[in-house]
Amino acid sequence: MAIVTVDGLCKQFPGGTAPAVHDVSFTVADREFMVLLGPSGCGKSTVLRMIAGLEPITSGTVSIDGQVVNDVPAKARDIAMVFQSYALYPHMTVFDNLAFGLRRRDIEQAEVARRVRAAAGKLELSELLQRKPHALSGGQRQRVAVGRAIVRDPKVFLFDEPLSNLDAALRVSTRNELIKQQREIGTTSIYVTHDQVEAMTMGDRICIMNQGKVVQIGRPLEVYRNPADTFVARFLGNPPMNLLHGRIEQRDGRVVAQLAGGRLSLPMRTASALGRYVGGDVIVGVRPEDLYESLPPGDPVPFARLPARVAAVEPLGAETLLMVTLEGSEAELIARIGRDTALRRGDRLDLALDTATIHLFDPRTTKSIA
Amino acid sequence: MRLGMKQLRRVPLFLFVGFYTVVTGGPLVWVAMMSLRTTAEIFRDPYGFPSPVHWEKFADAWVKSNYGTYFWNSTIVVVAAVALVTAIGAMAAHCLARYTFRGNRLVRFGILTGLVLPPQLVILALFQILLDINLYNTLAGLILVYVATHIAMTVYILEGFFAQIPQDLFDAARMDGYSDFEIFWRVTVPIGAPAIFTTVTLNFIVLWNEFLFAVVLLTDDDRRTLPLGLMHFTGSHQLDVGMAATGLMIAMLPIIVIYAFSSETMIKGMTAGAVR
Repeated sequence: MAIVTVDGLCKQFPGGTAPAVHDVSFTVADREFMVLLGPSGCGKSTVLRMIAGLEPITSGTVSIDGQVVNDVPAKARDIAMVFQSYALYPHMTVFDNLAFGLRRRDIEQAEVARRVRAAAGKLELSELLQRKPHALSGGQRQRVAVGRAIVRDPKVFLFDEPLSNLDAALRVSTRNELIKQQREIGTTSIYVTHDQVEAMTMGDRICIMNQGKVVQIGRPLEVYRNPADTFVARFLGNPPMNLLHGRIEQRDGRVVAQLAGGRLSLPMRTASALGRYVGGDVIVGVRPEDLYESLPPGDPVPFARLPARVAAVEPLGAETLLMVTLEGSEAELIARIGRDTALRRGDRLDLALDTATIHLFDPRTTKSIA
Repeated sequence: MRLGMKQLRRVPLFLFVGFYTVVTGGPLVWVAMMSLRTTAEIFRDPYGFPSPVHWEKFADAWVKSNYGTYFWNSTIVVVAAVALVTAIGAMAAHCLARYTFRGNRLVRFGILTGLVLPPQLVILALFQILLDINLYNTLAGLILVYVATHIAMTVYILEGFFAQIPQDLFDAARMDGYSDFEIFWRVTVPIGAPAIFTTVTLNFIVLWNEFLFAVVLLTDDDRRTLPLGLMHFTGSHQLDVGMAATGLMIAMLPIIVIYAFSSETMIKGMTAGAVR
């Protein structure tokens, strides 16, 4: 049982101009799997290292179960960490690597062996206990690194991009394995990654960071569907959300977003929140999967049409990515459409857009409007 | 049979290696042969084979020429100095490679200055200091001087190697509850063993042959080290070439044995990190 609370955490490195971490606050509930997601250099690993006790805290607090641990040394926080490089001791066997942390804790030799074998069994490492790390594959090393954390039975697990050194196929299977282990063990976990797929599939909640600050915290789909600003909108989703400059106008009693290449009638729900933006500029966000090659059969009412020209077609097998330029503008959009498209570069089409799915952002603050 | 281009291209390399081997190994073989011949035999035919073989010369050198004492003195001085220089150097290198502390650049500069100071420059000062602290003409004094003069190179080699050990290993050990010294002992030392072994071998070879400090700082015959012992056979008016060669062989044997067993590890340690 462990609740981790980070409150107003700041980190200023000596000689650095801007703080690496600025006023970061969040709470990870007991047994929760929290993912810190953000681009390289956004400060997520620094936050993790401060929670671990490996990095001094400039200001703010880290608490575990309500107790502030700022001045508690790393070894006394009862936290285990899985490092990006796995950090396996090259001169020790797998067994000794797994037992290293236990031996320091005055646990009887027989108990150490029992726990090591139990963890090894769980992670399918039993056959490899006498091998040295250099004789293991990448996936096996990763499992040993996880095993070293599990075997200690800590209050909190920290993961610092533990899958980034694996190849794509292995990453998927290891990801699933990690989720399974965490669900079984139920230890509170904080997982750092820059990979949005990992964040979406693994996290109970995601904390998105940019330039040392928390931008948004929420459940994966919640964050995906309701991005707090243009950064989150672009960062989550592959291909990223299309962002277009537009203007909110009132026409024939309806609120519309006027784009360079067309006009979008906004749903009433959205329109009612737009009062002060009428007559002003906005950023219109559209996810590639909300654009269609043609109007879907059925009620076409919420759909708008945007005349466009195909700039490139990228067939990915299961689907096709369509790069289009809107007519009358330079704006480029990416649409994710079905695999059986007949469209070729240079073709004209009326791109269909589900207006119920569009996102609007304030161009000055980049924050979500509606 | 036609020689392939690949083999042809190797011919100059083989010639060079062959030439180099003759130049470096030749004198060694020559001294080895002379060590088994008397001086009279050598003057008669400098390059002749030992016939008869005078094994008894080794016993003579060991007993009559006091080589047993010199060998023992050398062993004490060199083993103690190498042990100390390795222990202190490894800890210093670990600290410099791992920790950022106030004044670490100054400390590094201070230690590495030792690399550029020629021994001739410091010998008078060392002589005076050892006199002041009553360690002149003692093995302990010479050990101290050897440690001081060889710490720079040791730290230089080890720091470069230790700095390449990933920080994650140290962080992991810290989270596992190990203290700073335990981390040094359980992580840095075993992983840095090839580099440590390299400095041990290098220091051993250099100190075993060290002459300048020994000749200035030791005066009593029963405290002399092996390189000084060789002077016995060299007078102002005569030179006992045969016994000098025997003495040289006795002095060289430990080095040859050490190098034969450790050359591979040593090369590995010296080139570690060069190719990743």
